[in-house]
Amino acid sequence: MTPLIELTGLTKTLKGQGEPRTILSGVDLTVRDGDSVAILGRSGSGKSTLLSLIGLFDRPDGGRYLLGGQDITKLSERRAARLRSDEFGFVFQRFFLLKHLTAAQNVAMALVNGQGWAARRKRRAKVLAALDLVGIAHLAKHKPPRLSGGEQQRVAIARALVREPKILLADEPTGALDTETGALVIEVLHAATARGCGLILVTHDHAHANRMNRVVRLADGRLVQGGQV
Amino acid sequence: MALSGRFRSALIIGGQGIRARKLRTFLSMISLFLGVLAVVAVQAGAEIADRAMLSDIELSAGKDGTLVLNFPSNNDAGTVMADTLAGRSDAVGVDNAMGIIGEPGVAPVNPGASPLKYAGRGGYGGPSMVCDQTGCHEIKQDDNPPPPGQAIEVRLIGLTGDIRQFRPFQLEAGRWLDFGGEPSMSPGLVLNREAAAALNQYRLPAELRITGSTANPTPRILGVVHDGSDGPAVYLRADELSLWKTAGDAQGYLSVYLNPSAADIEQTLKARLVARGADPGNLQTYPVEARKQIESELRLLRLIFLAMAALVLLIGIAGILNVGLATVGERIEEFALRRAVGTPRMLLAGIVLAETLIIGLLTAAAAVGVGIVGLKLAASMFGGRFQMLQGVEFPWQAGLAGVIAGLAAGVLGGLLPAIRAARIPIATVMRA
Repeated sequence: MTPLIELTGLTKTLKGQGEPRTILSGVDLTVRDGDSVAILGRSGSGKSTLLSLIGLFDRPDGGRYLLGGQDITKLSERRAARLRSDEFGFVFQRFFLLKHLTAAQNVAMALVNGQGWAARRKRRAKVLAALDLVGIAHLAKHKPPRLSGGEQQRVAIARALVREPKILLADEPTGALDTETGALVIEVLHAATARGCGLILVTHDHAHANRMNRVVRLADGRLVQGGQV
Repeated sequence: MALSGRFRSALIIGGQGIRARKLRTFLSMISLFLGVLAVVAVQAGAEIADRAMLSDIELSAGKDGTLVLNFPSNNDAGTVMADTLAGRSDAVGVDNAMGIIGEPGVAPVNPGASPLKYAGRGGYGGPSMVCDQTGCHEIKQDDNPPPPGQAIEVRLIGLTGDIRQFRPFQLEAGRWLDFGGEPSMSPGLVLNREAAAALNQYRLPAELRITGSTANPTPRILGVVHDGSDGPAVYLRADELSLWKTAGDAQGYLSVYLNPSAADIEQTLKARLVARGADPGNLQTYPVEARKQIESELRLLRLIFLAMAALVLLIGIAGILNVGLATVGERIEEFALRRAVGTPRMLLAGIVLAETLIIGLLTAAAAVGVGIVGLKLAASMFGGRFQMLQGVEFPWQAGLAGVIAGLAAGVLGGLLPAIRAARIPIATVMRA
């Protein structure tokens, strides 16, 4: 069966004001449908950079990236935007909710993105279904400042799930939450994989990582440890 | 469908952005409002002046497209003209004479039928002149001029038909000339405003002395028209004028106003005049091009005012640009997030442009609204003093100019912020 994601020898060097810094120097990773993979590593090890390459926020300098068997290493921004919309769901540590919009409108943001068009009623049904999936349909009309951290993160997860992506990319989603709420969020993310959605979780928390099918560790720009948990 | 989806998405997100930043939107609108209002005001002023000038010039020169044939009034030209035009409604001949209305045996207060503002100053100033086919000559002054008295000199304009189809005189009192039936020995006169004002001011006895005539008829005053002329003039039937005008008084020029479709009359009249000895070189027909003339007169003025309005508009655009750039700076995370969830760069630029375009359109609507209300107020307050404002309607061209200015300001003010928004890198922002 064709892997969902297949990275081979992926490299990335960041060019800032000082000397160029190699962040990734040959990453190999394979993710299949319904896989959940935890990426561990120290701060600055390149976890988020790897996630931004997988999520097509950025492009690798070298190596090969296959998505569903198709080589997308070099991709136009237009096509990348389409894939971000249709194939990926993103969850970030800082939630990134828009304060002036309600929870439902924040979730609907992923539907009102210029990639296809759904009528208002259909959008509303999808948004409520996504909010229901993460257990906060009753908070649809609340704006972020009136929600707790855990609720805000669940709104962000609903936003990531509303287009029914093939893979969820979560960058330290529990980083801003207490242990109990964090566990709840991981539970929600894990539940998504039960519906056939792949999950790549970047985390520092070994407990959360151990709930995934696989754990890989990023050090010196390479995935140095991996395999089944 | 894709374009429609993007367009709708841009409008929805742009609307959300505006609702979220009402005060900032309002401040942007204020900075733009004066610029758009200036464009609306200049355009409205120019259109109203255009219409007023066109209306005046139509009164004195004729409507656009009218053909005018001028020719010397010698060699029975008046009779030829009257015979040729008899029974035709698509051409009107105009005969001229000078006359004095008022006390007999006195000099008029306005020699040469000059405007009454020159009354008592010897007319326009300088010697009295007369022009004919041989050129203009000074009228020899009487060695013993009559004493000044209660009389005014007027231009007598004899018409073979209703000239209002070519020169749309506005009837202000009484009635217009009746061209049916036999001519009366007591000529029916329609006065222009200046002549009517003179009659009212000097309380003249209604005796008419026609230059060159040996007898003085007693006229009937029929009505008053506005003919766009500032000198006193009197309109009467050409056949009634000819009853009193002697053949020896044939001087100056005659005119014929023709409908463009009346080419046959023009040819017939020219042929008959040439047969009577008229020089073909003196039979010139020209079309009235009032609008062209006005436009050339107003073009420079309009350009100067539009340039000033554009300057004010530019200041408004700079305001929108400033607010737009600041807003994009504040919304970096939002735009990066939108890109992360699949919004294309073009749509992000479209969202910012949609916001500034909505601001531009709202501002245009406000400016046009203020323009309409302002013009109505001005018309009601100053309509009595300024004829131009009487019954004036807000010109649609000014509304259109306002909308275009608003849209242009929206595009120019939003372009740079839109480009900046589209270039926000997702990875940098989301990692921060």
